Amino acid sequence: MSEHSLRYIENGSFFNRMDALSKLLWALLVILTTFQLESNLARAIMLAAVIFVMIALARVPLKTVLQATPIILIMGSLLFFVHLFTAPSAETVTIAGMDFGKEGFDKGLQYFFRITIMVLASFILIWTTDIRDLMVGLVSIGMPYRYAFTVFMALRFLPVVQQEVDAVKAAHAIRGRASRSPLQHRFRLWQRYMFTVIVNGLRKAENTALAIESRGFGAYPDRTFVKEFRWSKTGIALLLVFAAFAVWLILWGKNRAL
Amino acid sequence: MNQTLQEPLVRCEQVTYKHYGKTAPALMDINLTIRRGAFTLLVGPSGSGKSTLCMALTGIVPQILGGKLTGAINVNGRDASKTPVQELAQSAGMLFQDPEWMFATLKVEDEIAFGPENLRRDPKQIIESVEKTLNFVGLQALRKNLVWALSGGQTQKLGLASVVAMDTPLIILDEPTANLDPAATHAVHRLILKLRDEGKAVLLVTKDLDEFMAEADDMILLAEGRVLAQGAPRDIVAQHGDKMLELGVWLPEPTEIGLRLKADGKFDKPVPLTVDEAVTVFSETKFRASSPDQKLVAEPETLIRADNVEFVYGNNFKALRGVSFDIKQGEIVAIVGQNGAGKSTLSKLLVGLQKPTAGEMTMFGRSAKRWKVQDLANHIALVFQNPEHQFLCDTVREELAYSLLAQGVDDAEVVNKRVEEMLARLDIADAADSHPFSLSAGAKRRLGVATMLIGGSAKLLIVDEPTYGQDRRLTERLIHLINKLREEGIAVLMITHDMRLVDAHIDRAIVMANGEKIFDGSPNELFQSPGLIERASLRTTSLRRLVDGLRLRGVSVPDGLNTVDDFIGAMQ
Repeated sequence: MSEHSLRYIENGSFFNRMDALSKLLWALLVILTTFQLESNLARAIMLAAVIFVMIALARVPLKTVLQATPIILIMGSLLFFVHLFTAPSAETVTIAGMDFGKEGFDKGLQYFFRITIMVLASFILIWTTDIRDLMVGLVSIGMPYRYAFTVFMALRFLPVVQQEVDAVKAAHAIRGRASRSPLQHRFRLWQRYMFTVIVNGLRKAENTALAIESRGFGAYPDRTFVKEFRWSKTGIALLLVFAAFAVWLILWGKNRAL
Repeated sequence: MNQTLQEPLVRCEQVTYKHYGKTAPALMDINLTIRRGAFTLLVGPSGSGKSTLCMALTGIVPQILGGKLTGAINVNGRDASKTPVQELAQSAGMLFQDPEWMFATLKVEDEIAFGPENLRRDPKQIIESVEKTLNFVGLQALRKNLVWALSGGQTQKLGLASVVAMDTPLIILDEPTANLDPAATHAVHRLILKLRDEGKAVLLVTKDLDEFMAEADDMILLAEGRVLAQGAPRDIVAQHGDKMLELGVWLPEPTEIGLRLKADGKFDKPVPLTVDEAVTVFSETKFRASSPDQKLVAEPETLIRADNVEFVYGNNFKALRGVSFDIKQGEIVAIVGQNGAGKSTLSKLLVGLQKPTAGEMTMFGRSAKRWKVQDLANHIALVFQNPEHQFLCDTVREELAYSLLAQGVDDAEVVNKRVEEMLARLDIADAADSHPFSLSAGAKRRLGVATMLIGGSAKLLIVDEPTYGQDRRLTERLIHLINKLREEGIAVLMITHDMRLVDAHIDRAIVMANGEKIFDGSPNELFQSPGLIERASLRTTSLRRLVDGLRLRGVSVPDGLNTVDDFIGAMQ
């Protein structure tokens, strides 16, 4: 029984029932607003709002969130530390008895929030959206279906790639360690994960491409859809509420010290 | 003969194909015909070009995969090498070996609608076709299910459904049951026969010929990219049966018995294709009363002891429920059961990738909880179903050296010597400097075994689906190796769906169903328990059915005839 963190969860939540395009626009709105925010406190509020959506409106199980946490935090944390240690700064702040440049600290936090919010909003979209609905939605607003399908396939195969990584990791674990240096060993393993996952991923992607073309994909410039796209009232309501919240947050965060 | 059956649907004339960048052709001078509405079997050993031929009929070869194709392929009046693949999709639908990768959507009913939607069919017509197809494959109750929540058999049925929904005159099925448990395989086989009954031309590649030999209209025998023969299965077997055996083609056991006896000049009747035919043919046969030699009795030392072991995944799925068993030195054990019965979880526990959540498991005298995966790897070798997953280096030689280094052997001279020995022993010396990913399927499997055994300290070898994707010759080679290991005192545990393998080559079978062990005993006991067989979604082999059939006719057949050799050996 597989337990993968990046796949669609059908749980009848408010977000689950919303139309796919509203969810996509919501994620874009969140990301664009985050880039407009000028204070870290405002960014923290946005992060809290996104977490609220994840827990209350999307009802993403805690276990799924915990499984995805390393992916969500890793980029943000890396950027935080890079800026913390490298950005030149005249003032200092003291954290746990150590002095750091204030500029670096602020910049680090800014990137941490931006990346984390961006990743989290995208994950909520993946967790709550049947990506086929997203494809149908994108086609309904004029995107050629071949392009819409590219987005769709990328998301469809995320969990499968994750499964492949797990299988390779398990197989490597039982091979033991040939190098005395744990770091060298780890590097070798990562090199191999990448190689095996990329090679198998490409092979499987090729199989998928063959399979869908042999089922007539791309035979005509357009195709029919059994299920039609419809905007949902709840989706539009959420977009309006979030748009108002975004405007307020941008204005509120202007010229704040934090 | 049915008039429609006379009409050619596919015609290949002098077709030769070379894969991109290869000098040797994968298909050579292929001339064949597939008749409209006919059920055709495509057989041949591993690497004979079966999948390539299937892809040529759908236009994938050469249009998408490149390479050079000469000659003419006509499918339903269209030139398959020039008609765009998407357009040809209206004439030939193909189910690939691993249908999970075929799926382009998330839900069962969406997946079935995907193909017809691409062909711009009317949505109302598609909805009707989806309903009809769901009923046809029996997935009506699962129509809203997510595709990754399906079992192996259901996945295969959905793959088949998504091809059937395209409503093409030709359906190509490339090993559709390669990784299914016997009951699911049987269910898919019934669907294939149903398709034939509906008048579809079916081209089937499979090693499970038992249920099809007598049903098929045609058989095409392929070897090294050439068509060796085409015709009615009975004629092909009569004229080329010996060649098929020599090539390593899997044939039903009754057919193999007939062919072997004929080759020895002991049989002059038509070679039986089915169990029923064999029962009639051999009903006058006398058998020796004594049973064949018993298999080697395993040494008594217990390597693994599981006592009431349970395992619960993080999502509360209970994969193992109070499982108890022993594995002793030098014995060959098979774990069998339907897909999802807990077999893979058990193997993860055995190599230390997971720890029991309840119960006690002792491995080599120490609790499983105290073993680290890396340390356990010195004692237990696991060969994955996809050996590529465990390769870490750029050449076969380095791959073997890696295993020695991981076990602390770092004297270059010793490493080289042992690598050379292992290369020779497993017959992969020719490929010593090749990339492991570039090896043939059989060689990859042997390299997987070699990397795990080269350390010399392994006491238990676990092989996941040893016969997957292997023809009879390759399988026999692997079994020969496994028997040699057993002689050296290494216990072998196979996780398999292959009942013929279980019956012929193992000492003991552990049967799993819904996370529970429901049987632990000899194959003879297992195959004589019809209730158990059904509960665990297994099937008896055709040899067993032949023996049962003969006994029903009053023929005295001794116990313990587990292989074709046993059967022939017991005949007077």
